[in-house]
Amino acid sequence: MSDVPSESVSPHEELFTYAEHVYDVIGFADPVAVRNRTVKAFVKRDRWVDALRRARNDLGLVFFSWLSAIDWTNEVQVGDPPASHVKERFEVLATVADITEGRRVTFTTDVPKDDARIDSLSEVYGGANWFERGAFEMFGIDFVGHPYLRKLYLPEGFEGNPMRKSFPLLSREIRPWPGSVDVEPMPEAGS
Amino acid sequence: MTVDPMMHLADAAISLELETPEMTLNVGPQHPSTHGVLRLKARIDGERIIDVEPVIGYMHRGYEKLAEVRTYPQIIALLNRIDWVSGYANEIPFVVAAERLMEVEPPPRAQYIRLILNEMARISSHFLFMASYPLELGAASPFFFAFRERERVLDLIESVTGGRFHPNFNRVGGVKPAAGAGSTTKTIVQDLPAGFYAETRVAMAKVLAVCDELEDLIIGNEILLARTKGVGVMSAELAASYGVSGPNLRASGVEFDLRRTEDYLPYGDFDFWVPTGENGDCYDRYVMRVYEIRESAKMVLAAIDAIPSGPIIAKVPKVIKLPKGEIYMRAENPKGEVGYYLVSEGGTGPYRLVVRTASFSNVSVLPELLEGVLIPDLIAIFGSFDFVLGDVDR
Repeated sequence: MSDVPSESVSPHEELFTYAEHVYDVIGFADPVAVRNRTVKAFVKRDRWVDALRRARNDLGLVFFSWLSAIDWTNEVQVGDPPASHVKERFEVLATVADITEGRRVTFTTDVPKDDARIDSLSEVYGGANWFERGAFEMFGIDFVGHPYLRKLYLPEGFEGNPMRKSFPLLSREIRPWPGSVDVEPMPEAGS
Repeated sequence: MTVDPMMHLADAAISLELETPEMTLNVGPQHPSTHGVLRLKARIDGERIIDVEPVIGYMHRGYEKLAEVRTYPQIIALLNRIDWVSGYANEIPFVVAAERLMEVEPPPRAQYIRLILNEMARISSHFLFMASYPLELGAASPFFFAFRERERVLDLIESVTGGRFHPNFNRVGGVKPAAGAGSTTKTIVQDLPAGFYAETRVAMAKVLAVCDELEDLIIGNEILLARTKGVGVMSAELAASYGVSGPNLRASGVEFDLRRTEDYLPYGDFDFWVPTGENGDCYDRYVMRVYEIRESAKMVLAAIDAIPSGPIIAKVPKVIKLPKGEIYMRAENPKGEVGYYLVSEGGTGPYRLVVRTASFSNVSVLPELLEGVLIPDLIAIFGSFDFVLGDVDR
């Protein structure tokens, strides 16, 4: 992994150059971040579809990898809360890629919780259809213009949005996980 | 002019037959060819399908939610179960993502062991498809050829990891000692079982031999050809827009393999051919797997010759804590692109783990391909995508 020949530009520099290119082409993306070999571009909610359309048409990112969301909140029912105080919001992420050189960009936008709506990408990428249905049922985000916004995994009568941090994990409520204090130590050698 | 009375009768018969009522055909959820529990709601007009709506979620187990309350080592065991046919390959992108966030480099030997087992998982997953797909089309013999060799490969995986389907063999920073390695000390760790190299050479030679036999069985089978050639043609544009990846994308003529572009395992040390199809039909999707098994078997043989010695796990703390950060890591799973978007807030488990599975996207394109086809082609087309419902439903 690390023994990539270093006679040319390093992978990180190359990725940085690519991130600048993404910034130039999209035009209105907020600072494009390069971290952990992932290029992340933040766009405003009202330019979401516009940005992804440019990514497909002008950057050649024709491959729709995935779309999902993150529930950023300080009040969690499951797991650990964030390390520091965060702004209450949904972060919607979509990763698109090319199918020639292995370039990929993760687009991200913020959706306020009291107005959880965003335009649907299903006109731009066919694959967004199911992913948006998944984010709709799991987070309760409304995808405006989606052709068939119904539940995907959950049964029709299911109430609530399970992937929200305010949704408790019932099995965990009944019996706490045995490793909740600390993970078990590795068995010692020879034991 | 005389009127032929038979002519009128024929006309009458045709106009009567043309009026077929539209009806709904339910395939599944319990159906032998649905690889788990998938329901297809098909609207049909006579023998033609008007449209199909796949109904999924019968196996939804909520892994993304579960991951939020589990620690990183526990999550590795969970990920095995998403696509149980190639459980080993699911672990790889997750441990690599965690290692990159921790800035830990697994030792070269561990990377080679991962590569060997990853390719073995690919062979076993592809063999399952090679066995079951012809069976769905009515050809029974390939099943026996493929399953016999698949068992050999699974035995090898089991001899190293201790599990046939759910190896749970990777650790953040490397791999664990082999199953049944016996009493170990900190300096001498038996990482691969005795006789592993010799048995692998035998098994891979047999795998390569059976690939030739399978190819003959397919190419020589007129019925199979008639059922698959030119059926379910998918263009590269359509495939990419739906996120169809792996052999299914390559069958549509796209030469793209994440093993070449994402350096997550030492694939750069090996020359391997990335096969591509010409037409993107069911036949191409099937033969892609034959070619890929061959390449994987050759790569395993080359890897056991070139495997370096040394430790199998890097120095990592006993309790794995990842620094705050986000990473998306994807890898070439036997079924396509599998990836994890890992959001760490500095704890022993992730704040959020997005699981991107290959089968989910591969199935989502089905409604586009099934529009207007004949009912017998329904099974032929959706079978050719080689999906596992655990991988679709997560």
